[in-house]
Amino acid sequence: MHLTRRELLHYFGATAATGLLGPGCIGWTREEAIPVDSWHKSVCRFCGSGCETRVGLRAGKVVKVEGLQEGWNRGRLCIKGLLNREILYVSDRAHYPMVRKNGQLERVSWDEALDAAAAGFREAMAQGGPDAVAFYGSGQLFTQESYTANKLFKGGLGTNNVDGNPRLCMASAAFGYKSVFGADEPSGCYDDIEHATLFFVIGANMAECHPVVWERVRDRLRTEPQARVIVVDPRRTPTARDATLHLQIRPGTDVALLNAMAYELLRTGLVDPAFINDFVTFRRGTADSPPLTLEDFRAFLEDYAPEKVANLCGLSSAEIREAARLFGISQAALSFWTMGLNQQTHGVAANRMMMALHLLTGQIGRPGTGPFSLTGQTNAGGGVRDTGSLAHALPAGRVVTKAHDRQDMERLWGLPEGRISPNPGLSAVPLFEAMREGRVRAALVMATNPARSLPNADRYRVGMEKAFLVVSDSIFPTDTARYADVFLPAAMWAEKEGVLSQSERRYHLVEKLVEPPGEARSDLDILVALGERLGHGALLKARTPEAVWDEWRRVSAGTTYDFSGMTYARLKALPGLTWPCPTEQHPGTCRRYVPGEDPLAKKEGRIDFYARPDGRAVVYLSEQGPFRESLTSDYPMTLTTGRRLEHWHTATLTGRIAQLKGIDIDYLEIHPGDAAVMGVKEGELVQVTSARGTVRLKALPSMRVRPGVVFALMHSMEHLVNAATSDYLDPTSAQPEYKLAAVRVERVKEGT
Amino acid sequence: MSAWSVWAMATPEPPHGATLGGALEVVALGCIGVAVLGLLLVEFVFKSRMARSTYRWTLLLGLFVLPGVALLGTTGHMFESMKTVEACQSCHVMNPFVGDMHDPRSATLAARHYRSGAIPDKQCYACHTGYGIFGTVEAKRDGLRHWLLYVTDTWKEPITYKGTYPNANCLACHATAPIFTRVDSHKALGTQLANDEMSCFTCHGLPHPARPTRASTRVTASQ
Repeated sequence: MHLTRRELLHYFGATAATGLLGPGCIGWTREEAIPVDSWHKSVCRFCGSGCETRVGLRAGKVVKVEGLQEGWNRGRLCIKGLLNREILYVSDRAHYPMVRKNGQLERVSWDEALDAAAAGFREAMAQGGPDAVAFYGSGQLFTQESYTANKLFKGGLGTNNVDGNPRLCMASAAFGYKSVFGADEPSGCYDDIEHATLFFVIGANMAECHPVVWERVRDRLRTEPQARVIVVDPRRTPTARDATLHLQIRPGTDVALLNAMAYELLRTGLVDPAFINDFVTFRRGTADSPPLTLEDFRAFLEDYAPEKVANLCGLSSAEIREAARLFGISQAALSFWTMGLNQQTHGVAANRMMMALHLLTGQIGRPGTGPFSLTGQTNAGGGVRDTGSLAHALPAGRVVTKAHDRQDMERLWGLPEGRISPNPGLSAVPLFEAMREGRVRAALVMATNPARSLPNADRYRVGMEKAFLVVSDSIFPTDTARYADVFLPAAMWAEKEGVLSQSERRYHLVEKLVEPPGEARSDLDILVALGERLGHGALLKARTPEAVWDEWRRVSAGTTYDFSGMTYARLKALPGLTWPCPTEQHPGTCRRYVPGEDPLAKKEGRIDFYARPDGRAVVYLSEQGPFRESLTSDYPMTLTTGRRLEHWHTATLTGRIAQLKGIDIDYLEIHPGDAAVMGVKEGELVQVTSARGTVRLKALPSMRVRPGVVFALMHSMEHLVNAATSDYLDPTSAQPEYKLAAVRVERVKEGT
Repeated sequence: MSAWSVWAMATPEPPHGATLGGALEVVALGCIGVAVLGLLLVEFVFKSRMARSTYRWTLLLGLFVLPGVALLGTTGHMFESMKTVEACQSCHVMNPFVGDMHDPRSATLAARHYRSGAIPDKQCYACHTGYGIFGTVEAKRDGLRHWLLYVTDTWKEPITYKGTYPNANCLACHATAPIFTRVDSHKALGTQLANDEMSCFTCHGLPHPARPTRASTRVTASQ
């Protein structure tokens, strides 16, 4: 082949151009680190923030989880959100049903397991009537599952013994909202964060427990330098690091602090008299007690002047005054709280007072304002609070003690009149106490681990041992599964379909994307199969997630909830919808009670508290009250508990994720001064003893905690922190006081 | 007033002092000037007075060596000047991204890095180029591809980052910082972060506005 020099150069040029312009350039793309066949919209499995995700599948497995850019979380997830892909494939997934035979759980068929479960329930009811059985559910079940369990037990079996772990985390908030506004659930939405100029965070470590919501708050702080943050927390948490003012309060004195702030707001005139006059009423105790006046409230607060409560709260009066001043002068104050307020014997009072500060200052109903309680679990709000799957409640805000509400549900469920019991059932802690006493003989426990999560847990483990326990869970073994007479393997998250709702009342659809392992089934299938065997198959006509959802929409219609417009098709297409959403054209409601925004608010003016008979929200005269457990020379310190970013609850799921196994969860934070007095060094074993029990943990001297206060994580799988926590209950919400226990801390000598 | 003063006034001062791109530009311009002037002088003034061999060497210098150096200089200048934010923004499809970076009210990672001054200049290039020679080659290849898509009007909306963003670009600055190393989540996910199986952006937020909130990058007739 003969080429001239010119032709050779042409060929070189053409080759270079082809290489650059062809596959070498236009066609070139950077490789994906994890190849994905298809992406699907979903929601994170963990906390109540409800982060929207997109899930990548390959070869029938979940291989990648990312934040959804179209979602409220704008593409963000925390470490647990990222690890959604791991939880499906952790060790110890439950694969097949088991029945206890000769003291051991043995593998059986589904038919045999369900027959055994039904026989145990029938026997219990034969011996002790309908109230001898119970359902103990979870804020991690899908709405369809909680709704169906509620219907089966209250409408079918005739017992109101339906409760669950949400009682342990948000009952005080639910009772607070209901008693103040006449309807449960927060009034605002996450969009308010972009409008707030003051964030009042009390009893919430958002940076670790609701990290993506907190990042949105931090985005606001990054772009609005005038925005301020007040954090009220006995610990110097990562959240407190972002605070303009951190009130390191003595645990359990929140009501006194909030009353003192109300006193100061009234004293300085930083209140909204027109709002108080038009939309607020003052009462004591209950919502139907005789109305009082603003002057009565002023007189009541005389005992709560900042100087009078400063010592009790462990703060200076100047700090309290400054907090009140910042709240009062703020153009838009948004408050967040969670377990720190809820998990105490003054939980409802603290919730009511937090809401009262917003009502007194008119900081509600405008963008960037409102009292916003955050939920701890994926679906405690939607699945449990909204569907009324609590011992005192019925769906969509109804209660068992009201004849009209019962008749409503009997009609909607096609039941004979009088079928639903008028007596509230047993709430969480009394339920397990009743098991201990033999009054409740059989219980179905779904998607939760009460043997580890209940306060004073050792006491109630006796009840679990004694009762006929049917446990449905995705993991085996759990502490609770060890007491099971029948164990049923459950599908989880993307292995089944259902609806979740998060803190801002946003409902999301989680679609089934992969098959569950082994013989695991969805909890909805389990409930329907059990209902059939107990003779209530006709009651459970809706048996698919979509059919149950459509029934639930009909049940909500015309109530202050009203999900009628949230069709399955819309939930599939959209990244969630917030309620009220009464029509299929309605875009969802951000701010409740605001005429023009909330379709149920019909009056004109700033706000319409339509769920209250008189259209006015209630400010309660709430006493701090005495501590249920005082510090004594035997128990001179206060134990408080909480969570950390990387783990979740009893670590049933996160404790099995390989990446998280190196994260320490077995330590006790103790003030360095207290540690020095005890002669305890970092890493040494200490024993925490309360009047109920003991737990041994490694000491971690830390300035994060106040002197006299020790802090432990609730996650420890090795040690039972809840052996020492308090099972005293809030008298209104029946929520236990995890955040406050009198304890003695001692150094453990080697060899003991 | 001296000639240098006039020259200095006519030439805009570079924003951050001398740059490699600027130096290469001067070298290239100098070479071209010297070559043109030299060739003219040699051909029309000194040719008759020069030895034949000197004449040939001078021509070789003026026609090949100096233009060669000038070519290297201009190429280097182009390579360097293409690293600037202004170069990226010269295609208007980048306006939403650059505009957001300069927006004092934006909370995106790009805007936060810009505001903090953590990356004083060439911000696009700093985050979008892998480290080492292959990073530069990849960046040039990306740049050429973007340019081709732009001039042929064949890009797809919304613009998306292709493939997996390399965490190494973040870690190059952050990996040794105590604020990074003391975070337990980083330790727990060390392997996944190193292998790009999880993205820094997932927890720390998007670098640019989320796709749903971005304006279209394609200019319509009405614009």
